[in-house]
Amino acid sequence: MDTLTAPARRTAPTSRLVRAELRWIFRRPRSLAVLALLGVIPVIMGVALTVSGSPEPSTGGAPGDDQGAGLLSSALGNGLVLPVAALVMTLGMLLPLASAMSAADALAGETSTGTLRGWLLAPVSRGRLLAIKAIGVATFTLAAVGVIAVIGTLTGLVINGTDTLATMSGTTLPLTDALGRVALAAGWVTIQLWAVAAVALAISACTEHPMVVLASVLGGLIVFTVLGNLDALSWLHPFLITESWWSVIDVLRDPIPFDDLTNGLLVALCYLLIGGSLSYSLLVSRDG
Amino acid sequence: MTAPADTVVAGPSSEGPAPAARTRGLRKTYGRTVAVDHVDLDVPEGAVLGMLGPNGSGKTTTIRMLLGLVRPTEGEVELLGHRMPDRAAEALPDVGALVEGPGFHPFLSGRENLLRLAAAEPRLTSARMAGAVDDALERVGLTRAGGRRYRGYSLGMKQRLGLAGALLVPRRLVVLDEPTNGLDPAGTREIRSVIADLHRDGVTVLVSSHLLAEVEATCTHVAVLNDGALVAQGELAELLESESPALEVSTPDTTAALETLRAAHLTARPAPDGVRVELTRATAPDVIAMLAGAGVPIHEATRSRTGLEDLFARLTQDSEESPTWTP
Repeated sequence: MDTLTAPARRTAPTSRLVRAELRWIFRRPRSLAVLALLGVIPVIMGVALTVSGSPEPSTGGAPGDDQGAGLLSSALGNGLVLPVAALVMTLGMLLPLASAMSAADALAGETSTGTLRGWLLAPVSRGRLLAIKAIGVATFTLAAVGVIAVIGTLTGLVINGTDTLATMSGTTLPLTDALGRVALAAGWVTIQLWAVAAVALAISACTEHPMVVLASVLGGLIVFTVLGNLDALSWLHPFLITESWWSVIDVLRDPIPFDDLTNGLLVALCYLLIGGSLSYSLLVSRDG
Repeated sequence: MTAPADTVVAGPSSEGPAPAARTRGLRKTYGRTVAVDHVDLDVPEGAVLGMLGPNGSGKTTTIRMLLGLVRPTEGEVELLGHRMPDRAAEALPDVGALVEGPGFHPFLSGRENLLRLAAAEPRLTSARMAGAVDDALERVGLTRAGGRRYRGYSLGMKQRLGLAGALLVPRRLVVLDEPTNGLDPAGTREIRSVIADLHRDGVTVLVSSHLLAEVEATCTHVAVLNDGALVAQGELAELLESESPALEVSTPDTTAALETLRAAHLTARPAPDGVRVELTRATAPDVIAMLAGAGVPIHEATRSRTGLEDLFARLTQDSEESPTWTP
């Protein structure tokens, strides 16, 4: 499309719009600050674990802490576990908020600065606009996960060396296998976050206050966690996206039990579908 | 794509005087609030139409419906011959707009902001984007400030950057919503000269404003909105003409002039330099001939056109809040 110079062309090439969108996302100081913050987390985790030595076993607290403490103790002196542990820890709150922030800026933020109108008047049709925005948010989410996975892996290898890649089942993996496991975890986490981002994008399409999107996602995460802890609501648990998030630890077992991972993937795809179609219908009917 | 069946690319219309923009029975309600009610607006091709109205009279809502940003509750909108908002893809590439103030990202420079807009312009090839941005910056006098962050721009610079965004590519219609908001007199003059340039190039301009002097100085046509309704539209000169025309006759002999005119049953009253004659029952040449025939010395006679301000005040006076409380 880029070479098409016909004056009667009625839409700008999509690739050009995507490039402009990505440049905008990755030029924004806030985006870069979030990526930097996320990058620091695995380093802090690795250093803190090494310095403090063996962490205390869990002493009660919310469910999940047991798994968390067990995971953290395995991360000690183990180059493979650290990146996955960092992903699990940030998946609970920071990564969904980073995705939500990106989705909030994409539509609500652009509406509040009046910049969305510029593209609508160009014109960019609303369906295409949503597609470009979704690509932008998805890319930023992938970058956020990638930063944690890559820096986590590097930190783990630097601190613990390449001969410490033990799974939680006790076997030791060669480096390429271990990297594959980390990539699998990162990919799975990314898809979970895309699902969150799709819902956030739908909220973003019906407000012009970016904070509303962030607050909704934060509130949603808290509510989901509370609901997930109520045994009386166990029938509801399969529908909660947050329920499967701990199963990313399964990539550290040998062989990998795929049941929970697959289940979580399907739930995420459902959220993705619902969030996406909701975003579309809201954006199309919205006043520009 | 919003319009599935739009295979025909309509070129510049050669089919006579199709208006650049037209609305019929346009109505927009928000809940129980009627923002715009039965507006039949015509923006003739090549005109500079000033859209006037007090704040909240529906100017911006009408413009937003013209541009397809808002779907009308009722009525039709045609922009450059295309139904809006369904055929926006055909109409909007030829339309430049600055609506509801300039909208740009504070952390990007003016130039980068325009490049982001240019990326979405269908008429621009990727190779010509940078050149078009530089030209637009030069046109509004922002060449030197183009590299600075938008965050640090003054109100006037922001407004001019918005104008540059509307003029990235040659347009057939340019829509400017309150373009001189926040501009100093020099900035206002610049906007005027940009509008004059566009007009000379045959571009239709729709400019909304509540600054009457600005409209009077730049526009060929006027549309007056009040309370969501279109209360007057047409050529500026005609509208002003139709407003109770009068003739100001400058004479040293006011008494003789008044006697002559009243003998002819014309309404006349003393004015600072002579008399003022209502031209309701006689034309200006008649009056002058009559006075000259009666031997009244005349220094000069000028038809006093009602100012736009008077016209506007009369058309919109109902909206002035009249005290509803009664003693």
